Amino acid sequence: MTRTARRVATLSTAVALLAAAACADGTTPAADSGGAIDQNAPVTITVGNRPKPDKPADVASFDRKVKDFMAKHPNITVKSTETEWDAQTFQAQVAGGSLPTVMSISFTEPLNMIPNKQLPDITEELKLVDLTKDLNPETLKLVQDDAGRIYGVPFEAFSVGLAYNRALFTQAGLDPDKPPTTWDEVRQYARQITEKTGKAGYAQLTKDNTGGWMLTTMTYSMGGTVQSDDGKKSTFDDAPAKKALRLLQEMRWTDNTMGSNFLYNQEEVRQDFAAGKIGMVMQASDAYDMCVKNFGMKPADYGHGGLPQDGGPHGTLTGGSIKMINPKASKNEIVAALKWIKATEFDKYTDEQLAVQDAKTAIADKGFVGRPGVTPLSQETYDQYNKWREPYNNVPVAQFKGYSDSMKTLELLPEPSNKGQEVYALLDPVVQQVLTKKDADIDKLLADAASKIDARLAR
Amino acid sequence: MALSIRPNVRSRRSVLTWYRSGGLSAVLFVLPLILVFLYFSWGPIVRGLVLSFQKNNLVTAPEWVGLSNFSYVLTDPQLPQAAANTLYFALLALVFGFPVPLFLAVFISELRSTGWLYNVLSYLPAVVPPVAAILLWKFFYDPSATGVFNTVLGWFGIDPLSWLNSPTLAMPAIVLEATWAGAGATAIIYLAALTGVRTELYEAAELDGAGIWSRVWHVTLPQIRGIIAIMMLLQLIGTFQVFTEPFLFTGGGPDNATTTILLLIYRYAFVNGDFGAATALSVLLAAVLCVLSVVYHFLTRRWSTT
Repeated sequence: MTRTARRVATLSTAVALLAAAACADGTTPAADSGGAIDQNAPVTITVGNRPKPDKPADVASFDRKVKDFMAKHPNITVKSTETEWDAQTFQAQVAGGSLPTVMSISFTEPLNMIPNKQLPDITEELKLVDLTKDLNPETLKLVQDDAGRIYGVPFEAFSVGLAYNRALFTQAGLDPDKPPTTWDEVRQYARQITEKTGKAGYAQLTKDNTGGWMLTTMTYSMGGTVQSDDGKKSTFDDAPAKKALRLLQEMRWTDNTMGSNFLYNQEEVRQDFAAGKIGMVMQASDAYDMCVKNFGMKPADYGHGGLPQDGGPHGTLTGGSIKMINPKASKNEIVAALKWIKATEFDKYTDEQLAVQDAKTAIADKGFVGRPGVTPLSQETYDQYNKWREPYNNVPVAQFKGYSDSMKTLELLPEPSNKGQEVYALLDPVVQQVLTKKDADIDKLLADAASKIDARLAR
Repeated sequence: MALSIRPNVRSRRSVLTWYRSGGLSAVLFVLPLILVFLYFSWGPIVRGLVLSFQKNNLVTAPEWVGLSNFSYVLTDPQLPQAAANTLYFALLALVFGFPVPLFLAVFISELRSTGWLYNVLSYLPAVVPPVAAILLWKFFYDPSATGVFNTVLGWFGIDPLSWLNSPTLAMPAIVLEATWAGAGATAIIYLAALTGVRTELYEAAELDGAGIWSRVWHVTLPQIRGIIAIMMLLQLIGTFQVFTEPFLFTGGGPDNATTTILLLIYRYAFVNGDFGAATALSVLLAAVLCVLSVVYHFLTRRWSTT
């Protein structure tokens, strides 16, 4: 190479690298924020929650939805990703700016994200796509600020009940159609199951924030609360939470009916439950899907009762999923995203043909129809929808009777409104200590946790 | 470059001669490298430092908060336990994990013909992806009486242990897996160092009637002590940053028995979305490790082989 050629070469390399570095600066060009909304302008949105490739039927069904949607809305291009909400990684995705335009997140997130301005105000756009009127005003409160502006779309709700293994119940001489309704019964049933079958009578979630989540649920069922209404202070350092922990302590150390694993997260506990190692565990009714579909549990063995109460009835914990929209989305993208949400999550509730079609598709894709749950819409709409689909039910609905009945008597109590996931994370070790350390001092544990959580709530 | 071997007759060169002799292309040649290095290697460090003084959720405009992140993390009641756990992990890893690869390397180097086989066998765990290895060990550590390790213990009449479910056993169990996973890779480095030990030394020692242990003690170890010193420092820095194992094995439990500093940083950032606190604690950890490295360097200077 001649000297000149060498100079040219080095110079151009330098320029190219500088250009590359400049591009990698992380700032995307400003989108067409503000301005008038043009519903017919070509727009591209990315939607999260595409099923993983290990579930080919789900992927096919999802892809079909995308195709149908694009056929109906020729100006909207839909791209999809597998991104899904996970308490452990969600904040990283928000911070990294790697969120799709639309994705599902937990009910616990919006209350922190709205004041942080991590969610866009979509009130006007919701009116444009005619979605507001369908939504259950109770669940809508979770995504509104004080002025009533709306920042997300609640589309799926759950409430916690008690999943139980009908086969183990039978083996233990218990009636599989009569799940326990009080905590005293749970304790007694657990003893009987462990005695007769050698399996864990009852198991508790403890890990990855689920320990705090389920302690909160138990506390609710004993008539207690975890956080003051304004979210400024913890309130669990009193009788109900203590009673819940004392019950766990006795089942673990006196009765020895909780098996040997005390580090369970949601997936791990469902796996062991499906494998028949656990008699009873607190779960939302959607546990059925994963237990049967992913872990091969026999549908006949699955039973779901209401959340056991202590006195009361006090209520059960409810939560769910919200469709969030990327705060960096432009107005046109928001409208397109809402159209996508309406088409894929809501239209089926109000259109008989779509409801039936959805049920048929679900069955063809090896999915489930008829599993009882909580409505994101008004109860009448939901009942009507279920009636349309009844002929296609492939879930043993009768085995959920305890749960369905409890829905009529139990009040639905929301999760802690301020820093819910942080509160849960700080309560995990409390439950873990009670289950792994024989002489755990419950009063002290709760008092310590309360002071830690109050410091966090004040930050 | 040809320039550098030219006798340096003129102490002062004009810009023109510098340019004519290719000085500019030299600068342009290294410039991209320096820029890339600065941007990707030092950029994040500086960014982290800046973040530690801000209240920043990376979406809205950051707000300067001075030292409040630092005072927050330093007064967090979880910090003492996390620090103690991290030190405990480092200590266990030092006592149990450090000698293993050294022993492995010396052992393998003594084998003349089948050394490669042991080499492969010892390095194999390093090839297994950490997540897969941890899932496998989780299965071994099943706390019920039918778990793999507990079955083996049962053969000797020992009661099942609760392994990861016990606040006292969880950390040693994690160190055991980490030692298994890390020993092979470290042993390879020691093996490379061992090939540099001159064979005459062994021959001389043998002539003096030294057995295998005294050869290892008096020839091998002193000859590779420089590497040993470096590896110990690297291991110390590595163990202070342990994250994957406690995260995947126990999530920091039971009862925070395996919550390390890095796990705490992770929770600040990715559970709480508090990036200011997370980077503040990271900066503090980095500072401690810098001090540790300097102190270590001076303490071990006399070991140096040069």
